[in-house]
Amino acid sequence: MTLAEGMRGKGGASAKAASPGTALLVLPACLLVLGLLIGPMLLMFRISLNQFSPTQLMIEAFSFGNYARAAADPYYQEIILTTLGMALLCTALTLVIAFPAAYWLGRLQSRWKSLVVIATLFPLLVGNVVRSAGWMALFTREGLINTALLKAHLIGEPLTLMYTPKAVVFGIIAVVLPYMILTIASVIESIPRDLEDAAANLGASGFSQFWRVILPLSAPGVAAGSILVFVLCMNTYATAVLLGGPRFKMMAPAIFDQFVRGNNWPMGATLAFMLLAVTMSFTIFGSIAFARRYRAR
Amino acid sequence: MASLMIESLTKRFGSSIAVDGLDLKVREGELVALLGPSGCGKTTTLRMVAGFLPPTSGRVLFDTEDVTRLPAHKRATGMVFQSYALFPHMTAAQNVGFGLEMRGLGGAERQTKVEEALRLVRLSHLGGRLPRELSGGQQQRVALARALVINPKLFLLDEPLSNLDAKLRAEVRVEIRALQQRLGLTTLLVTHDREEALTMADRLVVMEGGRVRQIGSPRELYDAPQDAFVADFVGRCNILSGRRENETGFRTESGLVLPVDTAPNERDNANAFALRPERIAIQPGANGDLNGAVEAVTYLGSQTEYHVRIGREVFVVIQQTPGADEPLAALKPQDQVSLAWDRKAPRLVPQTSL
Repeated sequence: MTLAEGMRGKGGASAKAASPGTALLVLPACLLVLGLLIGPMLLMFRISLNQFSPTQLMIEAFSFGNYARAAADPYYQEIILTTLGMALLCTALTLVIAFPAAYWLGRLQSRWKSLVVIATLFPLLVGNVVRSAGWMALFTREGLINTALLKAHLIGEPLTLMYTPKAVVFGIIAVVLPYMILTIASVIESIPRDLEDAAANLGASGFSQFWRVILPLSAPGVAAGSILVFVLCMNTYATAVLLGGPRFKMMAPAIFDQFVRGNNWPMGATLAFMLLAVTMSFTIFGSIAFARRYRAR
Repeated sequence: MASLMIESLTKRFGSSIAVDGLDLKVREGELVALLGPSGCGKTTTLRMVAGFLPPTSGRVLFDTEDVTRLPAHKRATGMVFQSYALFPHMTAAQNVGFGLEMRGLGGAERQTKVEEALRLVRLSHLGGRLPRELSGGQQQRVALARALVINPKLFLLDEPLSNLDAKLRAEVRVEIRALQQRLGLTTLLVTHDREEALTMADRLVVMEGGRVRQIGSPRELYDAPQDAFVADFVGRCNILSGRRENETGFRTESGLVLPVDTAPNERDNANAFALRPERIAIQPGANGDLNGAVEAVTYLGSQTEYHVRIGREVFVVIQQTPGADEPLAALKPQDQVSLAWDRKAPRLVPQTSL
């Protein structure tokens, strides 16, 4: 159910059409988006068509050469595939970890519920850099985990935890988990409990209740949460740099490198648009496939 | 179909007690209604029978099988929920087929049974619709078909009519009752609506505060209530506090002596006089034994309700609406009237039997 449907269901009065004048209320937001998002993006796109020279930096041009070069370069191919792979893996793992928690939260009937919601949001109050720095203290060769395991004689020599893709996966999941949990929980909350009782009454075991009733009905939340998390994962920066180390490359750090280290604005802009294109196409195709599976009956 | 036996069933939530040692037997093919105000424990009882709630103590048996510890999905009861609880992402036919699917019943056989069940509730033509594309009454019939198609051991109805409008409710009431009798369904109905309970049930259980006040046929409960609570809950009733004066009279607290044949009509510890409004005859003019003044006349269509004051007591009298030219039709507030009733009609009951 969409929010609009829900509101219509509750009070007919709220469904009355807004007067034309109220359209002005969206003006500030629209101006902000136009000026600070669409404008710079158009500018960026223009830059991506320019050329780069190590001596003169940017040269006015109008060609898609940068795109062709980046797409053909195995170095960038690998970065894109790594980024996409990480984002898909992290989204899937986050979904699996978040769903039980979201179900519990969505079904929670307690006066402490709002506190639990705040606790779920709490990790977001800690910035990515601070959090990742904390993980560094935990994961390095001399870090807490290795020290503890060595002292307990569970391992003979320190494990390599830092600067591995695994560390990045854990780091990303810890960041995006609250988004997934809260998005799904709000949908689960709207599924009447009676439906589970009805399914049980008709002979459905706990698993069948989940698979046939809860999961299909929470599909909109799963879709929204997954899109949100996927986009966040595709654009990971701090976690990738701090936990992945210098040799682990994802798109956002690579773009930063082009702009700041290489002073190569055209290539940086090109990579940025490639990231955007890949993210958008996966999001759109994913949504369509999902809609076909769950909305069309 | 099975019979249902409930033995000293108790449910506590923390320190409060929702159901307190309930004993009940529902015979095979019988419809028993649990009737009571909200919070009386009737829904909690139903949920324990369905297996949604574990009892604190006591037993639930289907025939001789103890199902107290059996999870809901293994109990094979067919329940119609107050909200209908249709799966919104499945068509009417898929909803009806769900229970068969859970029992591993395959394609053709399942389809035949689904079609049969939809025909039973006269919805064959709407099997392909989603619940939101059906009217409330149609949704209710899908819920009925869904509960019945699995051949349940027990048919459970949780306030099944409360979401229907008044006219439809009266129709569906008769329809469900006919279906229940034709198919011989052992049924437990939960309702707070006395009319629903009286018209549908073979036997009624009036509950209050987690305990049974009285069990009996609708007629028994209506005509011979155990106490003032039951008398008042199963129908409108004039209830007056006081005590028995002698074999032929009851003295109210205000000193009015009312005629009653006390010997057959008196329960232990009786301190209330209970008389149904339709058992009172009203005559214009103050020329009887009990004379008073009309306070209000309420026209209800087929019936008319009079409020008559005698001394400090006000009696509610309900009569068939008189023809326009009959003397009663001219009654208006302040008019003098006399009341009379059969001495065997009133009941002398305790205010409470708990």
